[in-house]
Amino acid sequence: MMRFFVGRLLQSIPVIFIVITATFFLVRAAPGGPFDAEKTLSPEVIERLNERYNLDAPMYEQYFDYLGHLVQGDFGPSFRYTNRTVTEIIYAGLPITFELAIYAIMIALVIGILAGMLAAIKPNSAQDYIPMSLAMTGICMPSFLLGPLLVLVFGIWLQWLPVSGWGYSPGDKILPAITLGSTYAAYIARLTRGGMLEILSQDYIRTAKAKGLSTASIIFRHALRGGLSPVVAFLGPAIAGLLAGSFVVETIFQIPGLGRFYVQAAFNRDYTMILGTTILLSCLIVLLNMLSDLLAVWLNPRLALSNEKN
Amino acid sequence: MIDSLKDYQDVSFEQGRSLWQDAWYRLNKNKLAMLGLYLIIFFVVISILTPWIGPYAYETQNLALGASAPSAQHWLGTDIHGRDLMTRLMYGGRISLMVGFAATAVSLVIGVLWGTIAGYVGGLTDTIMMRIVDILYALPFMIFIILLMVVFGRSLLLLFLAIGLIEWLTMARIVRTQVLSVRKQEFVSAAIVTGLSHWQIIRRHVIPNILGPVIVYITLTIPSVMLLEAFLSFLGLGIQPPQSSWGVLISGGVETMEEYPWLLIFPGLALSLTLFALNFLGDGLRDALDPRATRD
Amino acid sequence: MSLLSVNNLAIDFTTRDGTVNAVSDISFTVDKGETLGIVGESGSGKSVSCYSLLGLIPMPPGHIKNGSALFDGIDLLRANEKTMRQIRGKRISMIFQDPMTSLNPYMRVGQQIIEPLLQHNKITQQAAKEKAIALLEEVGISDAANRYQQYPHEFSGGMRQRVVIAMALITEPDLLIADEPTTALDVTIQAQILELIHQLQQRRNIAVIFISHDLDVIKRMADRTIVMEKGFIVEQGNTQDIFYSPTQSYTKKLIASIPSCAKPENYRFTGDKDSRFLELNDISISYGNKNNAFKAVDNVSLTVKQGEILGLVGESGCGKTSLSHSIVRLVDIQQGQICLQQNPLETLQGSALKATRKDIQMIFQDPYASLNPRMTVFNTLAEPLRLHGIASDANELNSKVLSLMQDVGLEASWANKYPHEFSGGQRQRIAIARALAVEPQLIIADEPVSALDVTIQAQILSLLLELCQQRQLTMIFISHDLAVVRYIADRTAVMNQGKIVEINDTETVYQNPSDPYTKSLLAARV
Repeated sequence: MMRFFVGRLLQSIPVIFIVITATFFLVRAAPGGPFDAEKTLSPEVIERLNERYNLDAPMYEQYFDYLGHLVQGDFGPSFRYTNRTVTEIIYAGLPITFELAIYAIMIALVIGILAGMLAAIKPNSAQDYIPMSLAMTGICMPSFLLGPLLVLVFGIWLQWLPVSGWGYSPGDKILPAITLGSTYAAYIARLTRGGMLEILSQDYIRTAKAKGLSTASIIFRHALRGGLSPVVAFLGPAIAGLLAGSFVVETIFQIPGLGRFYVQAAFNRDYTMILGTTILLSCLIVLLNMLSDLLAVWLNPRLALSNEKN
Repeated sequence: MIDSLKDYQDVSFEQGRSLWQDAWYRLNKNKLAMLGLYLIIFFVVISILTPWIGPYAYETQNLALGASAPSAQHWLGTDIHGRDLMTRLMYGGRISLMVGFAATAVSLVIGVLWGTIAGYVGGLTDTIMMRIVDILYALPFMIFIILLMVVFGRSLLLLFLAIGLIEWLTMARIVRTQVLSVRKQEFVSAAIVTGLSHWQIIRRHVIPNILGPVIVYITLTIPSVMLLEAFLSFLGLGIQPPQSSWGVLISGGVETMEEYPWLLIFPGLALSLTLFALNFLGDGLRDALDPRATRD
Repeated sequence: MSLLSVNNLAIDFTTRDGTVNAVSDISFTVDKGETLGIVGESGSGKSVSCYSLLGLIPMPPGHIKNGSALFDGIDLLRANEKTMRQIRGKRISMIFQDPMTSLNPYMRVGQQIIEPLLQHNKITQQAAKEKAIALLEEVGISDAANRYQQYPHEFSGGMRQRVVIAMALITEPDLLIADEPTTALDVTIQAQILELIHQLQQRRNIAVIFISHDLDVIKRMADRTIVMEKGFIVEQGNTQDIFYSPTQSYTKKLIASIPSCAKPENYRFTGDKDSRFLELNDISISYGNKNNAFKAVDNVSLTVKQGEILGLVGESGCGKTSLSHSIVRLVDIQQGQICLQQNPLETLQGSALKATRKDIQMIFQDPYASLNPRMTVFNTLAEPLRLHGIASDANELNSKVLSLMQDVGLEASWANKYPHEFSGGQRQRIAIARALAVEPQLIIADEPVSALDVTIQAQILSLLLELCQQRQLTMIFISHDLAVVRYIADRTAVMNQGKIVEINDTETVYQNPSDPYTKSLLAARV
């Protein structure tokens, strides 16, 4: 188990390295520089700024310079928010994005698994068709459409919930979390249904029934663990997608998370900011995928064995 | 089963029929899937013919009219610039469908080739090929696309190339898993013993048996690509105005949904109808390609 | 009074094709402590009728049309779910066919064994565990305290079936229903498990319903026997009477289908005794990497004469399948030489290999897996004909395919059907036709009748004998079933742990085995 973990960690180093290198040269290959947007600046000022941020140095020098700072945990100063470092901005924004993602995935898991189980217990009945059509709608409904619709219904018409903000008024976290989580709830529902149907057709479910167990015991003790394995495999990519996709929701609901900074940074050619957030997200994705694999191994004793053999 | 047998027997035996003929025969019996197929064909034909049959020119504005509700002149109403919504929807459909189909085609070709080779050859080749997929999976592609679009401008070609290059990863994984399980089946061993070449085995025995999941995945990919395009348009990174896509129209409609709901409803309807049609068609095709499927 | 009395039980299944009468008007009783054997072929309704007693039939499509099943005053067919749950696992337990799939792979075996106990009795986890460990020891699992903590995949097939038996007996039920409990096991393991069930039953005085397709197993285990066919009971009575003086024609046919005799005289090998048609010299096959290699075949040498049928017998994992696959080049050998008529096979490549493939064909064990489900019979048979240029035009192709189908007893009108529309026996006929299509000289048949019912098995065996004689084929016939090999093979080779331990004329091997392993194998026969 430990070897598996360490192996995966070692494997992720080149991945992160590729991400850093690709992003670094990609942003710099783009036409335009970080200070182009401010038309008021005279060429001399821009030159001085370039000098200050070492942007006039040869590309490779900038690259190694950046790597050098990076290994010390320094993402460098933001080119846009001149008085703040990238680390500071991340520090302020990441917890908010994280909180949003956690609420969203919790909503997705609870709703998705419940709906999937209901559907799998009575396949091809109303109990199956209704949640699954809802799931289908959920998959087809992009968050930039669902978000405003929810705002319209619950925020403006019914006035039950605040339409924007984060942590200012009670309940303002509900709509963003639902908006972000709904697509994933839909996918999880479909995966749960598929996984459970597969498991429920296994012989050992019949064995369990022959022991005199109730339907609830059969589902929870015997079927759930195996039936959820597709969901577990999906969790890593799902959370990664949640984090990456959160900026739409953050924009709609005006949440000061990391996502908004990211999109802004891309438009502004804020090199260090783009790099910092990209590297951070890549690390998170790698980590989450690893955790998701570990969870899958923990859930399935046969996988644990084959990993030890390798 | 008996029903279909009866039909077979009515046709007196002349010569072997291919899987495709049978699949078409079975698909024809699935009403929902056929409805989906007709709808997709309808949308595609409309998109192709739009420049000739569109009621208004694409950019014609009627500022005096402004945003007007559906009427006899403008069946689906006009937008705030007084442009005919139906025309814009038809042109938008061209882009959306093109992005959806083209990007999916890119991912299909790469994914099926990659997955089939990895799964069929196996061993070290498989390990290396799938490790590459794993590594690529870990890259934050969404972010790269945004970066690409920001950096190199919003080119349509770049868009579906970029999207296609992400989507093939999942396709490759699905195909590989399927190929691995088919490869272990005895009928593949039997084909080897018969003397078929590997390429013949892949074409005649492996591919037909993995088509089901692949087709289902295609019908899931096309919508997700269309959504991705819509999403990028929402961020201002997709199609450039005055061009539009369904995604652009929807995100525009969202802004004014309180005042002019039809600007959201019709594009939303077009997109949703396409997505549902693709899903029904996908499920129908999967069943049609499986002679064992019990559904009629 | 009987423990269980089933009266006029009738069960329907609603399918797309209409209603199927799975069980029609059957009645039987089971007394305390006795063993009732139910024997029949697949589709005879033997399992369905017993599953219905525990309410294990999915409804719909299943439907109990008629009848009653009185167990201790309770009608099992009409009791509510709550009552049934108190009977299942507590008073009536079941053992299922495949121990590989009937245990939950995600749960430790100990937890699974005590589950019925915790469900039905007021008992602490600890007390249940002690009881389970004692029982595990009783069913012959050593180091039971440690084994208790393990997962099913850490057990072998035979050991798993012991676990399943312990699980069924832990609540001390009155009735045990065993559905083909040894079908998935090797002969020697089968003998042990049957003995175990017999002993446990004697010790606890429980009633057993023993379901099997295997007449020998029923003959050994049952006090009374029911013979079922197509949902009906054709005959029931004392086991001795059923087997030695059957009254019904179906029972007679069934008993006659058991290959219990030597190879028919007129089919025996008459060719050149010194021919060296196929020669294997010092073949070794191993799997895995260098550090962790598993030698499946270990220095095997073998000569097959032209026109003979060589039987290859052994238990699962003995290497017989690897050996056969190496002859058709499905696996590579690490050492040795394979020669067909003095031409080495193991180094052939490309077109030379393809040309040789025409001479050697294979019939696989599982007729459900060996046919491409997406190819019609016609296409399956036409493929090798086209590939090897045997048919030049469409007309010739058609006539060749149709004549092949006729040769193996398939109707021409079935040519456009898909494999799933056929029964197991018919599928195996298709597989045989495919092997014969290219007019090979040598056929490797890997367990070709193991997946089939006895009466079908008998038909396929005589078809194979017939075809071999007509076409002067040489055949290697691989099987775990000693009786089948005795019936079809001229010579028999016995394999164990990758080696051939004995090879001789079939009757010599069966009547005067020289190797201890062969002796133990023959002794384990039921």
